[in-house]
Amino acid sequence: MQTAARSLARSTPHLRSLAIRRSHTGPSRDSEGTSRTTHFGFKTVPEEKKETLVKNVFDSVASSYDVMNDAMSLGVHRLWKDDFVSSLKPGVKGPLRCIDLAGGTGDIALRILDFARENYADRETSVDVVDINGEMLKEGYKRFKKTMYHNTPQVAFIESNAQALEQFPDNTYDLYTIAFGIRNCTSVPDVLKEAYRVLKPGGTFACLEFSKVTNPLFNMVYDQYSFSVIPIMGSILAGDRESYQYLVESIRKFPSQPDFAQMIVDAGFATGGMHEGKGGAWRDLWGGIACIHKGVKV
Amino acid sequence: MATTNLRKQLLQLALPLVKTHGFTREALSLSALSLPNPHAEPLRDTAVSSLFGEGDEARRTLTSAWIDEGRTQMRQTPSLNVRDALHSRLRYNEPVLKLLPEAFATMALSSSSFHLIDPQPALKHAASVADEACVISGDTTTGTMWYARRASLAAIYSTAELHQLVSPKTAYEFLDSLLDTSTKVKNSLDEAGLFATYVAKSWAGILKSRGVF
Repeated sequence: MQTAARSLARSTPHLRSLAIRRSHTGPSRDSEGTSRTTHFGFKTVPEEKKETLVKNVFDSVASSYDVMNDAMSLGVHRLWKDDFVSSLKPGVKGPLRCIDLAGGTGDIALRILDFARENYADRETSVDVVDINGEMLKEGYKRFKKTMYHNTPQVAFIESNAQALEQFPDNTYDLYTIAFGIRNCTSVPDVLKEAYRVLKPGGTFACLEFSKVTNPLFNMVYDQYSFSVIPIMGSILAGDRESYQYLVESIRKFPSQPDFAQMIVDAGFATGGMHEGKGGAWRDLWGGIACIHKGVKV
Repeated sequence: MATTNLRKQLLQLALPLVKTHGFTREALSLSALSLPNPHAEPLRDTAVSSLFGEGDEARRTLTSAWIDEGRTQMRQTPSLNVRDALHSRLRYNEPVLKLLPEAFATMALSSSSFHLIDPQPALKHAASVADEACVISGDTTTGTMWYARRASLAAIYSTAELHQLVSPKTAYEFLDSLLDTSTKVKNSLDEAGLFATYVAKSWAGILKSRGVF
């Protein structure tokens, strides 16, 4: 996988300029020296194993990831991603330097570049697409080869861990995006800490993630759909029930909107008011199925 | 909480910029240049939207912060009575008087796509100024009088503020005349009430002496 990712870097001069390597975080241990645990879906696993388990899931679903996303969300994930990117207005007041974490298939990066170009004639905004999974990056790279951005300084693919962006210097980016990725990370606080570090002062952290449905009735319907329909779809369309079972479970384990907003604050970001909606720290999409959180490095 | 402090800090720093940049997203954006560790460049539009809301919502946030600051300043200005308190609030408007009609219009415009007029922000603004003036003057009324006092002061202040927008120089006299009229009306009503009580008591006495009760 690492070889595959390196080959992506070699294919263009710009990619070559970025050091591509996988950053590993060593197994963390508590003060007594015992291994710490985290959740992997509904299972409890040692922290050091989660990364491998998540990697296996995405290795398994990489080729059918977009098809499955369409099937699971009935195409709605496209609307959410459009909404997410248009709310950021990339390029509105000049070019941005963006980093898109867990952005393997290039969904968000492509939208950012298209939005800036189509709305503001901006061809200077650039996106570094970062993913821990080489297979997902390969999918993204393949997709970008079909676009005008291929072989331009506007896009680069880098294999790295969101929790340890060692090869990225401090205060580098104007915009940090992570869509449907942060819940798969072993330590969300570490991801936020790194996001804070690589953003320039005044830079924006934006996260699109599945969240908690606020209406109890709707939540009941949503739960039924998630636990009954999605794993079956996974086995029919991708031949992989377990990976999709994990995806559903990981959504339930992710913190609620206010808790995640507090984590963003704890990482040092300034956010809107601690409420949902206009001027708030987060905005629910479709009653909270997904949610956009934003923070600013002040 | 750190977030609230940082956001509040930026809002506070944006307030002095209102005079020169208006109730705009630009004022919010430039606030980052006045931080203790000033940024090298103003906040980007994305950051302004993330912190204060998209489009006109950010302007509403700034206007609300400016209105809140007005109440804080009322509290800090030494005032002995309602009149002084309301005068100091009108004085707070003066540096940005030309910008206020647009700011109030933005506040009144509902953020929905139908652009309906929303009277709530204006009512809330007037009510909060009236309440602040009552608190400053040591108002001790309770029950119905508590509401009546604040409602009349809110109406007086709103009228005076509207007058100030078109005729700033005569606003203070206008406010005084409204307060005087209100006091006279209140006194007349109090006296009429007292007289009515006497009449009622006399009639009760007459009827009692006639053996009706």
